[in-house]
Amino acid sequence: MRDVIAAFILLNAVVLIVTYLTYVERKFAARMQSRIGPYRVGRPHGWLQPIADAIKLLIKEDIIPALADRPVYNLAPIVFLIPSLLIFATIPFAPGLGLADLNIGVLFFLAVSSLEIVGLFMGGWGSNNKYALLSAMRGVNQIISYEVPFVLTALIPVVLAGSLQLSAIVEAQRGLWFAAYPVIGQLAFIAFIIATIASENRVPFDILEAESELVAGFRVEYSGMKFALIQLAEYTHMFGVSCLGTLLFLGGWLGPGSAHPVVGAAWFLLKALFIFLLVTWVRWSFVRIRVDQILGLSWKVLLPATLILLMATGFWVALRSGHVA
Amino acid sequence: MSRNGTGFWGETWQTACAVGSTMAITLKNLFRKPVTVHYPDVVRPYPDRLRGILALIYDATGEEACIGCRLCEYVCPPQVIKVEMLKGEKRNYAKTFTLELYACEFCELCVQVCPTDAIIMLKTFDLATSDRRELLLDKDRLHALGKQFENSWATGTKLREMQAPPKAAKVEAKE
Amino acid sequence: MADPEARKVIELGYGGNERLVMNMGPQHPSAHGVFRMILTLEGETIAALDSVIGYLHRCHEKLGETLTYAQYPSIASKTDYVAAMTSELAYVLAAEKIGKIEVPKRAQYLRVLVAELQRVASHCLWLGTWCLDMGGALGGGATVFLYCFREREMVLDLFESLTGARLLYGFHQVGGTRYDLPEGWAQRCRDTVALIDRRLDEYEDMLESNTPFLIRSQGVGVVSRELAQEVGIAGPLLRGSGVDFDIRRDDPYSSYGDFDFKIPVETAGDCHARYRVRMQEFRESIKIVRQVLDGLPEGPISSKPALKSVGQVRIPKGEAYARVEGPRGEVGCYLIADGGPKPYRMKWRGASFSNLSILPHIVPGHKVADVVAIMGSVDPVFGEVDR
Repeated sequence: MRDVIAAFILLNAVVLIVTYLTYVERKFAARMQSRIGPYRVGRPHGWLQPIADAIKLLIKEDIIPALADRPVYNLAPIVFLIPSLLIFATIPFAPGLGLADLNIGVLFFLAVSSLEIVGLFMGGWGSNNKYALLSAMRGVNQIISYEVPFVLTALIPVVLAGSLQLSAIVEAQRGLWFAAYPVIGQLAFIAFIIATIASENRVPFDILEAESELVAGFRVEYSGMKFALIQLAEYTHMFGVSCLGTLLFLGGWLGPGSAHPVVGAAWFLLKALFIFLLVTWVRWSFVRIRVDQILGLSWKVLLPATLILLMATGFWVALRSGHVA
Repeated sequence: MSRNGTGFWGETWQTACAVGSTMAITLKNLFRKPVTVHYPDVVRPYPDRLRGILALIYDATGEEACIGCRLCEYVCPPQVIKVEMLKGEKRNYAKTFTLELYACEFCELCVQVCPTDAIIMLKTFDLATSDRRELLLDKDRLHALGKQFENSWATGTKLREMQAPPKAAKVEAKE
Repeated sequence: MADPEARKVIELGYGGNERLVMNMGPQHPSAHGVFRMILTLEGETIAALDSVIGYLHRCHEKLGETLTYAQYPSIASKTDYVAAMTSELAYVLAAEKIGKIEVPKRAQYLRVLVAELQRVASHCLWLGTWCLDMGGALGGGATVFLYCFREREMVLDLFESLTGARLLYGFHQVGGTRYDLPEGWAQRCRDTVALIDRRLDEYEDMLESNTPFLIRSQGVGVVSRELAQEVGIAGPLLRGSGVDFDIRRDDPYSSYGDFDFKIPVETAGDCHARYRVRMQEFRESIKIVRQVLDGLPEGPISSKPALKSVGQVRIPKGEAYARVEGPRGEVGCYLIADGGPKPYRMKWRGASFSNLSILPHIVPGHKVADVVAIMGSVDPVFGEVDR
């Protein structure tokens, strides 16, 4: 019973945070572009904008294309959303403040978050639309190609810490954050960020939904609440991967005064926000690259690089523990 | 991903530098003041010559300046002005004067040809309505607009004077 | 419209793959206007392209016959609405050529001034929309777009204090110009141009060695020198393929011969070469603006009396073709005058109309994502295409 209540609270908290993350992104992007961003709703800073957007999407008409494959079309947003929410089960926000701190935490996270691709393809196929199909095909290509380097970079902290359990990985960073480890840490962090951007379909790798070519890609036929679910799923997944990055590389909840759970959770959220803003900063600075160039980058550059990094990490750990007897 | 390369490490370094400099520029712009303003609350200063919505004005004696000569009706390219003349003893008037603002091009040709400087443009353009019929301006509406908003610089006389001045042109080319 | 050559399907060695006919339809965020492209795709590669235009047809050539020489210049801006000054200039030059009307020196210099400022503004729009298409409305493309529009707005503010309008000016008239410079305009123009010069350095920093940008634009949409001359394109498309031709230097009009400027030419012929040509054209235009402001003579701005009635301007019988170097290429106007206040016939040569005919030759073989890059570097404006 206690777990059900905890899950309910966690889900609501996550959804609320993610809603306001969209607002943070819009303001951040606007300032980068010399403009103001949301302003009118909740003057003077527009902080009620996400609420207004949510209400608007709720009351919109649900238009289903006549020839769409109904069960597939209707289920796709749900299948897209569920893995994004499920990954939060294994994330510890502070010592003892996590829903289920599995001892295979990283593996669960990576496995479940890869299920998103099923929902994506269902959306593209069920829409009965050439643009959506093209985008779904590109999406399958891209996400599958980038899952491999993503997993490999996520494995580097696992090797350094010696455990798949997320809280154990954070504890192993008490001395020094993994991102601060000389050379290996920085390169692994950069590779993690690149793999994140690519598996989240963010610019420069968002050929999937290329607004100026495919006009929203696999989401093009969705309207109203289903569209809201898809947007929510995307941003939730993004936030989830930022949380993972925080735990794996930036020391999770560690920081001055982190013994207290609330302070620890605050540090955690701050660091997750940092990763999110870093990805957003990259997003608003670069044009997108073509799909064959994206795939080339993944298979020819990122995969060998992460493999070599992983092997180097393994050697280093073996050397280190060899000396400690 | 081929480029006229300087080898793998050279390319990688070049890429990293390029990425860094691009992101540095967006970061620099993050701290610049925004160039947009919150429009209805903050209004930017309009230049003198702004070609806004049209209006009819009164002459120096307080009477309507329009003499119903229809020159503006003939010159208007989309033909949005319709005038009927009312003959009087000393001077003529306009009996009806309609201007379809929804089709107006704001080209200022009517202002230019008006012999009595009756029709002018105002320094405002904000006349959005939800009913197109409100943009069919009749004479009373045009006079009311003229009293309500600030006139733009251009009148017929000034424009004609600028285009064919009797003496040399204005003297501020060299600043 | 689509010649048989364009319908020829190029075999790409895929052999047996299913072909998909997709519409990048008239409503599309990156079609630069209303333009329909019927793409035949094999996977992601384009096998053939067929284009359909005419969605923005507004009967300009008939309007030219029903409107007088006094009324039409403000309508002429609406053909190439992004670079309105050069469009109006073509029409009044043609009328003046037939009537052998002398334009005062000050008016000629003012025409050059606004034409070059308009080129700066138009290229700002080109760069912004090209990066927007390539980078996404929610991504880095939008950032470059907003920066470019920030600069374009400054030029438009200058035009607003000069004529009163921001986009469609009605600045030219037969015999000269309608407006003269107001107080303090020259100094503001110099300040604006200096600021744009500095910001251009920022854009070049941002884009010049930007890897995603380079790999999207180099080697894409290569137009060979022979193809460029055969198809009849003009402007930066031509100069990006190595043909050194610019109407401002080779067929000067309106005192362009008094100014000293270079014509940038690149030989690679791909999108990146055209990008380089336009970026250098920015700098050359700024140079010309400074020279005009330094050497602006006093004098009247029109050699014809001021417009007092609609039928005032009468051009004697004759015909002429006048062309100007617009930001997109050669904008030309062919007039047949019959002695009355209206022309007998008017024909526009739209720069973008001729430039679009290059598409069926260069697009097949590229991926779908390259179509937007190529369209952006061709930079069509559909007011000119459909008139």
